[in-house]
Amino acid sequence: MTTTRRDLLRFAGGAAFGAFLTPAPWRLITDTALWSENWPGIPRPARGEIRTKFTHCSLCPAGCAVRARCVGQQPVALAGVFGGLCPFGVTAHHLPYHPARLRQGPVKEAAAAVAAAIAKCGPRERVAVLDLRPGRTASWTYRRAMAGVRNGTYIAPAQPPVSVNLANARTVLSLGAPLLDGWCSPANAFAARDRFRLIQAEPVESRTASLADTWLPIRTGSEQALALSLAGALDTRDAAERTGLAERQIVDLARELKENGPALVIDCRMSQNVVALNVDLGSWGRTIVPRPEAPVPAAWKTAAPPAELAAVPDGSIRVLLIDESAPGEYLPWNEIQKKLVSGNPLVVAFACSREGYGQHAQFVLPAAAFPEVTDDLPAAVDAVAPGFRLATPLIPAPDGLVNPVDFVAGVAGLAAPDALRQRADAIHASGKGKLVTYADGKSAAVKEVKADEFWKALNAGACWTGDAAQPGRAPGRDFSPAAEAAVPALTAVAAELAIADSPLMSKVYQESNLRLGPDRVAMHPRSARECGVEDGAKATLETSAGQRRVEVMIDSGICPGVVLVAARPGFEPGQAKVVRI
Amino acid sequence: MDKEFITRGVKRCSTRQFVLWILPWFALLAFGLFSAGLCLVKGLNQTNMDNRFAFGLWIFLDLTVIALGAGAFFTGFLLYILKLHELRAVINSAVVIGLVCYSGAVAVLAVGVGQPLRFWFTFWYPNVHSMLTEVTFCITCYLTVLMIEYLPVVLKNRKLRQVPSFLVFEFELHKLIYVLAGVGTFLSFFHQGSLGGLYGVLRGRPFAFREGLAIWPSTFFLFILSAAAVGPSFIVLTTWLAEKISRKKLVRPQVLQLLGRISGLLLAFYVLAKTVDTLVWINRTSPDSGFPAVQYYSWKPFGTWILFAEIVVFGLIPAMILLAPRLRARSGWLVSAAALACCGVGLNRFVQTVQTLALPTLSFDKFLSYYPSWQEVGTFLAVVAFGVLVYSFSFRYFQLFPEERELQMEVVQEQEKEQLEMAGRF
Amino acid sequence: MKRYGMSIDVDRCNGCGACMVACAVENNIPPAHQGANDRKGITWIRVYRVDNGEDFPDRRSAFVPVLCQQCGEHTPCASVCPQQAVDVDPATGIVGQMPERCLGCRYCMAACPYHARYFNWWDPAWPAGMEKTLNPDVALRMRGVVEKCNFCHGRWHAAKQRAAAAGKKDIDPADYVPACVDACPTGAIRFGDLNDSATAVAEDARKPESFRLLEKLHTDPKIYYRSKKDWVKEIASAPRPGARKESLRG
Repeated sequence: MTTTRRDLLRFAGGAAFGAFLTPAPWRLITDTALWSENWPGIPRPARGEIRTKFTHCSLCPAGCAVRARCVGQQPVALAGVFGGLCPFGVTAHHLPYHPARLRQGPVKEAAAAVAAAIAKCGPRERVAVLDLRPGRTASWTYRRAMAGVRNGTYIAPAQPPVSVNLANARTVLSLGAPLLDGWCSPANAFAARDRFRLIQAEPVESRTASLADTWLPIRTGSEQALALSLAGALDTRDAAERTGLAERQIVDLARELKENGPALVIDCRMSQNVVALNVDLGSWGRTIVPRPEAPVPAAWKTAAPPAELAAVPDGSIRVLLIDESAPGEYLPWNEIQKKLVSGNPLVVAFACSREGYGQHAQFVLPAAAFPEVTDDLPAAVDAVAPGFRLATPLIPAPDGLVNPVDFVAGVAGLAAPDALRQRADAIHASGKGKLVTYADGKSAAVKEVKADEFWKALNAGACWTGDAAQPGRAPGRDFSPAAEAAVPALTAVAAELAIADSPLMSKVYQESNLRLGPDRVAMHPRSARECGVEDGAKATLETSAGQRRVEVMIDSGICPGVVLVAARPGFEPGQAKVVRI
Repeated sequence: MDKEFITRGVKRCSTRQFVLWILPWFALLAFGLFSAGLCLVKGLNQTNMDNRFAFGLWIFLDLTVIALGAGAFFTGFLLYILKLHELRAVINSAVVIGLVCYSGAVAVLAVGVGQPLRFWFTFWYPNVHSMLTEVTFCITCYLTVLMIEYLPVVLKNRKLRQVPSFLVFEFELHKLIYVLAGVGTFLSFFHQGSLGGLYGVLRGRPFAFREGLAIWPSTFFLFILSAAAVGPSFIVLTTWLAEKISRKKLVRPQVLQLLGRISGLLLAFYVLAKTVDTLVWINRTSPDSGFPAVQYYSWKPFGTWILFAEIVVFGLIPAMILLAPRLRARSGWLVSAAALACCGVGLNRFVQTVQTLALPTLSFDKFLSYYPSWQEVGTFLAVVAFGVLVYSFSFRYFQLFPEERELQMEVVQEQEKEQLEMAGRF
Repeated sequence: MKRYGMSIDVDRCNGCGACMVACAVENNIPPAHQGANDRKGITWIRVYRVDNGEDFPDRRSAFVPVLCQQCGEHTPCASVCPQQAVDVDPATGIVGQMPERCLGCRYCMAACPYHARYFNWWDPAWPAGMEKTLNPDVALRMRGVVEKCNFCHGRWHAAKQRAAAAGKKDIDPADYVPACVDACPTGAIRFGDLNDSATAVAEDARKPESFRLLEKLHTDPKIYYRSKKDWVKEIASAPRPGARKESLRG
């Protein structure tokens, strides 16, 4: 028998028909659906072993304990150990990849320039370090370095002299402090929330005000007047006039603070009047205590004392080294500029981006961002006992960065490579307190732990808590009068906290208007009308920090005459102007 | 130059004039294709649609154009199933219009979805509960039917019919015409209805949600009615336009009047049904969802005027005009009423798509506004240009109006008679 | 048969947005494109600010996190998807979205009264190096598809794997916590099985001050909000023009 073409065709046709009775072509068809979902250019997440690492978030002095979920060595998610983190903390592991992040800088030139400038220092001129986050071990190193340099000065923003004990409070009066929105660790604030009644006094219905038990809408700049009046150092009628409250309200508030104790009064920086008011209310030792500090090696006590910027003579700083890498509070640039010599001062800023003092410095040197570097955290505002916590690196820092502590120490000829280890050893040597490790949640007395283990544990995620010191004698009730300043037509007030922004923070800025982004301001409809703008209008905002383009949002919860702006480096509340573009 | 392609016995303008006519439309089509291309290559961020306004100009365009193109199936139904033979004069034109409308709609749909390459998923993983599955199936099938119905029109071209196999094919195909008309009617019934059902089933949008019969909300039936009512009107409109632009008589006035009468009848019926439906919705359906109907019309700029315009100005008034024989006989009234009816259907589709999405559902939402981006408008214009071009080519080279030759001959005879009379006088 | 749901204490939400960013971190949602605004961004959970409509100083606000309500009955989005890209899992009650099946027709977005669905108007893009921080447990989506909250389904799968590895049939509730619940610093959001009357969520749902959004639509959502303030409870009902004095932020 011969095979004809027809036979072959029949065979092919039958095979094709038969193939459709098998799963093969159907699977292929459905598989093409998978091909259509992975186009080139869409990144693929890296795979690897899932690990857990611990550290402390160093974006703000609250220093919340952080559990990092890592793929291999790379952190992919952060969560709080003792509760939730703020949105900045949740996205902090993105900061090394921020597009505005500095990676390179003229390190050698800066070092040479600094050395030359120091050599040229006149008798009345000084070399200064401005440390934006004082209270760290690095701060001690700066102080020691400045002690070793002729005319060396260590400048830092004033730290609150007290700490607060939220757990003991039954009534809290907050004079504009965002207690429930980042003033202290969110986990601590909300763990204690149900035990106290919160009265929030500020001109804007902030997040804290909306959750408070009572919101007292006082006028801008009248917080001190209210505090003085509650202490009896200012006439109630005067205070009522200045704050815009009724006299009755102030009287009731004073009574509540006295009768529903222990009371706690706070403001953003725990100013002198507020501390005095707390003492007056009998809160010393109960809801406010002296600010604690972990032990330091005895040899460090010869370090230069911290100086406030205002105390430095004008025109006296020739070389200013600013550590902006761990920011807390930014001081206004024009205040700093007054202290620089008039001819060719040298300013070197150590920062992660150019947006802070980098705009004004001659040299901006790239510093490591969280979570690339080891640093310790100063005592949080709600820490009643001394503590020591390390922010440990989760990923290695890229090449080309500068460690500001090493740089400054080098300038002063101070060898301080392992200041943190020395500090840890000093703490261990004191034999006091306990060590809590996060991985297993265990607590051990320091006496039972060896020095090396102590250091290792701190680096692997742990915190040391010392014994709370006796509060001692209460400070005197020293009230400083609140100057009555003329209220400008429009005052700019900082909204909410704005720390370093991961690109993913666009979710709460651009993509939802939930938080006030840097390019937006909010004002009362009446103020907006007076400025000739409406909701969504483009305008220029002029404040003490300069000018910038913004979009206007309308919000009835803002006192007329106030414009809410996103807090940026160097912003100070004060007169503002909004002009339509 | 292209005289051999033009049907014998009818006059068409010179090739040069024709080229001058189609050139701007080609330019518009090119611009539109560029806009659509941008949307395909760069993504739908080129449009002004967003998460709240997921549908915009294009969906409104799709719905309107499909409603207007209903003339194709409905005329076929009237001619081949109900045997209204006068309509033979316009059936070819109606088929071309239908083809243009549906192919334009399908093209815009392809650009309007996020992943056009996945179009076959609807056929592979169909969801029997979804109105959109139904719409997709029926529209693609109906587009095929229209293309098959268009073939005879093409094949009857003077040059093409010289190919014997084409002639035979066309002849055989014509035997199937009743089947095609029936299938077309069936498919159209379902997809016109499902397009209405798309919004009527939206439980989450009480503005659009309607009760109905079994699984079909009342908008299912209202859309079929309005499409059937407006299809003939659109044919009246386009035929009148074609006559005006070509400066020729293409159909006997009685044909247009018949279409007008049918349109008026259905439109009147539709207005009645729509009124009843609106009353039920205002008094029962919407309040039961927790949304009192009056609040829909409190959001500026959509006040009750829009409801009034849809039902009375663009519904009742053209219906009454079209039902009055004396008004119908006057071309001005007939065409104006037809235009009003077409606008009415456009307004209804707009209300169903754009107004539904503009109205807030959550109490902390605001009324939203939307206007299309130039890329969206460009794509819309591409469809219009495409339609004009296909129609122009079909009009020039195919016999869209069978009565045209007769009417042309009548005109010539009239002219000859006049000339003879004139000659006789001298 | 589980019915996972949430209870959200509106009186405790401080509008910080930690849930929003934690969700974006967990689910590989890209940062906003330059042209994105609050109508074109992707925020699977979004915190809205609502207020009592009064002027200063009587204005009081509250913050309401809105995410996919995981509708149980007449799920609006599931019935309308032409490709069956939406799947209601009978074992968990979770309404899942399959971006690889999605055609991008956005009919489900028109159907959802809670505006909980988001379309990828752009291709996802991260600043250089930031792709290293992507979560390997969640697939990335490209432009042209719809996505929404799925109660961190990847974490549910991980919990199931852990249970299976330990030889257990049921997952350990502590193992399955969505990212937003984990991240919330105030403890306003609780998650659990509504069918288990002993869970905190089920208890919260029974409280008199609990309400669900747009209950009269009969979508049977699984997110229970609660507040002791009467004016806050009004957010659950249909919008009324003129009830709000100005446009709301958030």
